[in-house]
Amino acid sequence: MTTRLPVIELRQITKTFGNFTAVHSIDLSIGEGEFFTIVGPSGSGKTTVLRMLAGLESPTSGDIVLRGQRINDVPANRRPTCMVFQSLALFPHRTVGQNIEFPLKIRDVAPEERKKRALQLMAQLRLPEDYYGKNVTKCSGGERQRVALARALAYNPDILFFDEPLSAIDYKLRKTLEKELKDIHRETGKTFIYITHSLEEAMVMSDRIGVMRLGRLVQVGTPNEIYTAPNSKFVSEFIGDVNIIPVRLANGNRLQSDELGAEFSAPGMPAGFSVGHLVVRPESLRIIERREDAENVLTGTLYNEYALGSRIQYQVRVGEQVFIVERLRQQALNGRLDTQVLVGWNARDSILVGD
Amino acid sequence: MNPAERSQRWRASLLWAWTLTVVVFMYLPALCLLLASATASRYFTFPIPKWGFDWWQKTFNSFEIHQLFKTSISIALLVTVIAVTIAFFGALAFARYEWKGRSLYQKIVLLPIFFPQSVLGLALLLWFNAVGIDLSWKSAVFAHLVWIVPVVTLVISIQVYSFDPALEEAAFDLGATRWQVMKEVTLPVLFPGIFSGSLFAFLLSWGNFPLSLFTTGADTTIPEYLYAKMVAGYTPGVPVLGTVSTVTAAFLLLGGYGLIVLRRRARLK
Amino acid sequence: MATATDRKARQGPLNAVPVILFLIVGFAAPLLAVIGYSFMPERTFGLFQKPSFDNYVTVFTSTSYISFLWSLGLAAVTVILLALICYPIAYGLARVFGRWSTLLTLLFTIPLFVSENVRLYGWILFFIKNGVLLGTLKSLFGIEIQSWLFTEGIIVLGMVYVYLPFMLFPMTLGVSMVPNETRDAAFDLGATRWQVFKEVDLPLSMPGIVIGFLLSFVLAVGAIVEAKVLGGQKVIPITHDIEIAFTYAQNWPLGSALAVLLMVVVGALVLTVLRRFDLDAILGRR
Repeated sequence: MTTRLPVIELRQITKTFGNFTAVHSIDLSIGEGEFFTIVGPSGSGKTTVLRMLAGLESPTSGDIVLRGQRINDVPANRRPTCMVFQSLALFPHRTVGQNIEFPLKIRDVAPEERKKRALQLMAQLRLPEDYYGKNVTKCSGGERQRVALARALAYNPDILFFDEPLSAIDYKLRKTLEKELKDIHRETGKTFIYITHSLEEAMVMSDRIGVMRLGRLVQVGTPNEIYTAPNSKFVSEFIGDVNIIPVRLANGNRLQSDELGAEFSAPGMPAGFSVGHLVVRPESLRIIERREDAENVLTGTLYNEYALGSRIQYQVRVGEQVFIVERLRQQALNGRLDTQVLVGWNARDSILVGD
Repeated sequence: MNPAERSQRWRASLLWAWTLTVVVFMYLPALCLLLASATASRYFTFPIPKWGFDWWQKTFNSFEIHQLFKTSISIALLVTVIAVTIAFFGALAFARYEWKGRSLYQKIVLLPIFFPQSVLGLALLLWFNAVGIDLSWKSAVFAHLVWIVPVVTLVISIQVYSFDPALEEAAFDLGATRWQVMKEVTLPVLFPGIFSGSLFAFLLSWGNFPLSLFTTGADTTIPEYLYAKMVAGYTPGVPVLGTVSTVTAAFLLLGGYGLIVLRRRARLK
Repeated sequence: MATATDRKARQGPLNAVPVILFLIVGFAAPLLAVIGYSFMPERTFGLFQKPSFDNYVTVFTSTSYISFLWSLGLAAVTVILLALICYPIAYGLARVFGRWSTLLTLLFTIPLFVSENVRLYGWILFFIKNGVLLGTLKSLFGIEIQSWLFTEGIIVLGMVYVYLPFMLFPMTLGVSMVPNETRDAAFDLGATRWQVFKEVDLPLSMPGIVIGFLLSFVLAVGAIVEAKVLGGQKVIPITHDIEIAFTYAQNWPLGSALAVLLMVVVGALVLTVLRRFDLDAILGRR
């Protein structure tokens, strides 16, 4: 992966509202032309971080640096950045064309120039030309997204911010727009900083992801790194269905689970490890016929199945705990519900995390 | 039609009948005024012995009446302009921004509305006297404002409540100066509320009696004149003016509302 | 250094300044003046005399309390009648009349802007001897009855007429606050129409109803024109007493004392009720 020059950096950024600390001393560096997504549950502080980058909030302490220059005191309307808001904030009293041309109009660009640029953007975002005079309140959800994006791109900002723009859209449209956003990112080459609460969405579009929790940046990495090497229980759970076994260090570098009464081989041991969690992804867990087929094996009851399109998810009860196993549709197990099964995995397919 | 639907229809008809009865009740006096204005005789008896529009002519030609109109309109226009300006900012504080003390502020602003107007008029009379201000149509403007500014603030606030703050932030983020944000986004989007507020301000001032009675001094507004004539010295000129007053109000309101609807339709094309 | 966040926190108070300043000078100050005057000796006209309680003594020993009771009584009767008259209309406007609601609301709004005495005079023309009602009865049916004018009943009619919009609009607001789904859910769970009304409609529209009650009561207590114009001298409400004190009797301090009493009653009522209300929830943020 090519290293990019940092375009915007957060250095020791903290934000407090009265007694409440929304953001704790964050350090972050985002590269030129990168698609960076900040992910976190509500209340994690991600919106606050985005607003500070845009200039709509000021940090309580710390510096925001744009290409080497400190911009804490630069107001939002003078930063070379543009935000696409969650509600899209399209001006309801203006047409599509007027909305897109707004940033140009207030910079005194001539009407013919503005119109040319607006039509160019509309073509790039696949909006029909005759929408130019259409009132925005009559556009569909997907169309409004595109108008908001066109408006943000109109005067060529260096960085675009996105505040969970797809959260209120239905699934199918969201999937389409996610792909389109990624295409537009490649076409324009601009830096996109995106926030969402869905890690799945982030993985589709981003070059790098930052996971936030309760005001702190917990892990930063590529989608692959986050997925295969989460550094904590929180991050591993964030991806969705995952199997987590609380373990402690046992003799001979093995891991002991007291609830399950079993021992497992470890995939590599961080120094000083004593207590933590063993994470096994559903697709790494297998339903096997013989104990010898895997390094670590548990016995349980197959108690439910969920069809997920190209995959099938099985729930296996081992004592009090439920394990999730995923198989391809072609490998469906038929007629084995409520029977005993063996689930197993190899150490290298598991991840060991602290807390 | 099943029984549930039938009873629902029945209930709806009852509600309609009741409401329309009350509407007729509301407009009966206006009807009487209209009838009383169309008599040629000096006193009012019903059924009208002799129809005629002489009194309409007399009223429209009267110098005294013209003076009254001038006074009432001057007061109303001045009140409208001042009230809407103060109330616009007041409404932003009421409904748009989060701030400590907003809840108390909201109640303070509404207080003059929940207050007997005649007592307010008398209090202002006292106050003007204590401070040494002469009573004239200008003091009446001030008096009207005390009641009307809170009302207009309320009316504009209702519009402000549904204003998406992200609109202003977006405009700012896209590069607009604070003045441009106000001019291009805030004012146009809030315009319907401001327009309704202006209409309210004008009409409430135009028709106001209790406050005018105590604070206009030597000047007279139309409602004051009508009251004096009602108590002593009735002429059919009274119902003429009364009808004109009602019709003006109806016209302005329906016209104003019509304008808003037309504007909305034009924008959505 | 003014940060973006600082600026935002100041916006609210800054915008509130014009209104607050205006109300201090135009509302608070005059009321304080009235209170000040009420402590001045009888029949004086300045504010800088030696304070005395004479006026309050006069008020409590004279017959003014009769006027007071009349005002409160008339207002109470008016408000109860208004509640009964207006609730069905409010219900209809919010739930039944559909696209006609706006037009109907406008129709109810128009009379608000015509001054009270004009509208009340229409009633005089209706009820007076040889007026619209009696004249028609006489000529068409040959019936001659006494005019209903100058009775207590007519005064109440006038008050109901004048203050109707002030009960109707808050009530309509209240009724529209009841979510459709809640009513549907109650039905679905087996409630009868009456139960739905009692358990869902009434409680959830209560904020609007209470404000309607408060507003019309407070304004009705301050009514002066209805009794004067429609009632002749039959009933003298407290506001008339106050006016007389200020004009004929030339006794400003006494008038002020009466006014203060009225203000105290109204103020206490308004503060107790409004304190419990979250105006944001009622007026806008849904």
